[in-house]
Amino acid sequence: MIGKKDQRIVAIVWTIGIIVAWELSSYLLKYVLHDPMASTKLPFPQIVAMTFLENWKTLLEAGAVTFSRAAIGFALGASVGILLAVIMSLSKTMERIAFPYLIVSQMIPVLGLAPIIFNIVRDMNVSRIVIAAYITFFPVSVNMLSGLKSVEQDKKDLLFSIAANKFQVYQKLMFPFSMSYLFTGLKIAAPMAVTASILVDMLGSQSGIGVKILYALYSNSANIFWASVFTSAFMGIISFYIVIFVERLCLPWKNADPRKDGVRA
Amino acid sequence: MNAPEIQIKNISMVYPVNNGKDIVALNDVNFDIQEGEFISLLGPSGCGKTTLLRIIADLLQPTSGSVAIRGQSPREIRRQHKYGIVFQSPVLYDWRTVRRNICMPMEIIGIPKKERTARINRMLDLVGLQDFGSKYPFELSGGMQQRVGIARALALDPEFLLMDEPFSALDEFTREKLNEDLLSIWSKTKKTVIFVTHNIPESVFLSDRVVVLSPHPGRISAIVDVDLPRPRQNSIRETSEFYEYVTKIRRSFEGV
Repeated sequence: MIGKKDQRIVAIVWTIGIIVAWELSSYLLKYVLHDPMASTKLPFPQIVAMTFLENWKTLLEAGAVTFSRAAIGFALGASVGILLAVIMSLSKTMERIAFPYLIVSQMIPVLGLAPIIFNIVRDMNVSRIVIAAYITFFPVSVNMLSGLKSVEQDKKDLLFSIAANKFQVYQKLMFPFSMSYLFTGLKIAAPMAVTASILVDMLGSQSGIGVKILYALYSNSANIFWASVFTSAFMGIISFYIVIFVERLCLPWKNADPRKDGVRA
Repeated sequence: MNAPEIQIKNISMVYPVNNGKDIVALNDVNFDIQEGEFISLLGPSGCGKTTLLRIIADLLQPTSGSVAIRGQSPREIRRQHKYGIVFQSPVLYDWRTVRRNICMPMEIIGIPKKERTARINRMLDLVGLQDFGSKYPFELSGGMQQRVGIARALALDPEFLLMDEPFSALDEFTREKLNEDLLSIWSKTKKTVIFVTHNIPESVFLSDRVVVLSPHPGRISAIVDVDLPRPRQNSIRETSEFYEYVTKIRRSFEGV
């Protein structure tokens, strides 16, 4: 078990390590291998950082467009996922009908699905939201269902013995029990929803961080490209930490429980 | 003597198995329980003692036979919230504090908020957990968790306390302490208790009567009246009378 202090040290070592490795690689490319395209292929980290600082406003604005649509889609997808899980847990028949199609739905590449959705709705924002929701609902649904199905029989018997109705069983037992499972699903889904939203940007949107990446790539402006990529990466990481933050607020008993090993940041 | 409070008549329980050899968990079990009595169902694994308790609790339906509780079915009794059940594991809800675990049954049947608080305090007093109300279950020892389980089972002031090997996962010292505490709780609350156990001294210490069950198929092999004086303290375990009851029950298993 790693303590909080050790975790921080590990994080610092990793960050420094990556920066040093990057710095060295850039140096190698430019001054040892004398690659004429070195500054395009891998610019120095400090140059990327400078570019970010010079352009932070436009980058963050573009990021916000993408991120907000991802967030709406995420919320929508999570709601649908939870609803599906509840329906499937209520009826074995429903589970048998729905579950195979849930799996099939995940075999359709989003890259192929996104243009189809755009063709139907003809709106970038709606497309972003739909695709983010589409990506989100599956991990949420599967994890939530697994939570609902993991409730011990004794806990259900207890409610049965005091004649609780179906609604109370879900309210008092099934939902609270499944919360940590649900959050596992949400943690998987959040960065994926951001990625999906970026992907939709690239299909010809007017705004968004994906557009920045694409333009930078076309116009060979490596510094902007890298700064945009980092902005995207930040968005993914932030989405993950927002979920963890909400989880801590919602599940106080879980944070305090030393026996349970979850994702801890 | 009054009419028996619980009448168990010709209860049989058969679990069908695919290969045709059905498992007979209980075979024609008959006995009565009086009001306010402390009854133990004692026997080795596979004797159907838990099955019998679950049938009484309406958690299982018998293959044949019937249970009548003041002329009513277990289902009717359950729907009137007259059962308090304590399981083998404490079955606490991890996301609720001790207080809110005890509160849970009261939320289900809609007891007013004000009364809930008063009752929770009374229950905490009863099981000796006054200082632990705001703790989460994982912060408690196994014995304390089971105390919470008992407090929760008593929260609705049920008439029947059904206990399914509640102390079997605890160490001997904790078990004996909780045995003693259970008797003091019982003397204060005057419930009819049905207590499942596989521990002979525990059944003797607690019970008015011990129903001894033997396995394959599960059936009653003896019903032993325990005429030890009450209130009983753990020191009674050192008396020769206690030892005689334990020996008598142990012998009834010989040849099984």
